[in-house]
Amino acid sequence: MTSVNQGTLFDLEATLHDRLRPEPVEAEAVRRIARGALRRLEQIERIRAEFVVDASERGVVAVRRGGRAEAASRAARLHAERGREELHEYLDGRRSYFGVPVDLSRLAPFQRRVLEGAMRVPFGETTSYSALAARIGCAGAARAVGTALGHNPVPFIVPCHRVLRGDRTLGGYAFGLPMKTDLLALERSTPILEGCTSTRILCRVGCGALARSRPDRRVAFASIEDARSVGYRPCRVCRPEAA
Amino acid sequence: MVPREEETDRELMRRLQRSGDERALTRLVMRHSGRMLAVAARLLGSRADAEDAVQRAFLRCHTHARDYRPEWTVTTWLYRILTNACIDEIRRRRARPEEPMPATTPAASGRAGAAAEARIDLKAALTKVPTEARVLLVLRYVEGLSYGELARVRGITVNTVKSQLKRGKEILKAALVERPRRRHEGGRG
Repeated sequence: MTSVNQGTLFDLEATLHDRLRPEPVEAEAVRRIARGALRRLEQIERIRAEFVVDASERGVVAVRRGGRAEAASRAARLHAERGREELHEYLDGRRSYFGVPVDLSRLAPFQRRVLEGAMRVPFGETTSYSALAARIGCAGAARAVGTALGHNPVPFIVPCHRVLRGDRTLGGYAFGLPMKTDLLALERSTPILEGCTSTRILCRVGCGALARSRPDRRVAFASIEDARSVGYRPCRVCRPEAA
Repeated sequence: MVPREEETDRELMRRLQRSGDERALTRLVMRHSGRMLAVAARLLGSRADAEDAVQRAFLRCHTHARDYRPEWTVTTWLYRILTNACIDEIRRRRARPEEPMPATTPAASGRAGAAAEARIDLKAALTKVPTEARVLLVLRYVEGLSYGELARVRGITVNTVKSQLKRGKEILKAALVERPRRRHEGGRG
């Protein structure tokens, strides 16, 4: 029995070496990768340079293009500052959720409900206009939901870009469809669960405990079980198991 | 004038860190994306998804260039970023089960067909291996990384690397041996 097993194992080694060998790659694919990465980079830089964050005493009220940020009081300035910081971290792929409060109190009740619904769509995922309408108790109002999202005063932080058409095509976006695509791609390149290789603790990306660890000591995981299987434990501060 | 030597990976990374030099990024892509594509394709099972993952990895290589430390070999660093991207893609697929893994093509007949079939079997068998072990197997057999390098790429101990590889191979073996046996018994293979 042992010899049979060893025989099979030997075959497996040969099979793996043989079958997993890299195949030649066309030069065009390499060029496509380089072009795509540079184009996305440019788009992200543009958002960082062009957008400013306004806040009230209760939280961020607007993310808009151009001009100077407005904040009337010290509390408002702090919210605006935090919003800007988190937005830049998000664009850098270092943040998978926004912790800064958002103040939607100046909006009409329906739009507020729509935007609050959009805020519950998880990072890196998408939903449809009609599903969002159903979730906020207005089934059939997909079009009205689309309009409310189109006038979202707090883009990026209130993730209206995560809402697509029912057939998964993009729908619309106030800043143009290429930006919507790039934001979705950006979220797909930011992991949700990361562990620190020196403490072997698993956190949600954006957790303060993780932020204090050296950036070159972070690895992504697909699940808590995967992380546990190689000796990591979940963080007690951000509690990834609850996410 | 003596022609300038090819810049090393470390020099390119330094340029990327200092000035976000896009030509340095392009150079790195030209030099390494072939091997990275091979790894990503084996991990994700689809060529299109692999290309996307490699592109995201290089994007991250640029935005996170200042995290790079010279004590890292650039390829080890790139594999860390790439496996992070692929693993997160796997997590996302799991979270959205209505999007299944890309379907395997039907097996052709004849000698070439037999080879293709064996490849498909291996591809299917690999999906049965838990993510962490699969990543290690692919890096080991596609790229020939050492235990030490694997440990560094995934931030785990060399002992964990060994036990994960062993476990992964056991699962692969079970999946590959089981199929032909069932066929002999007249099952649906």
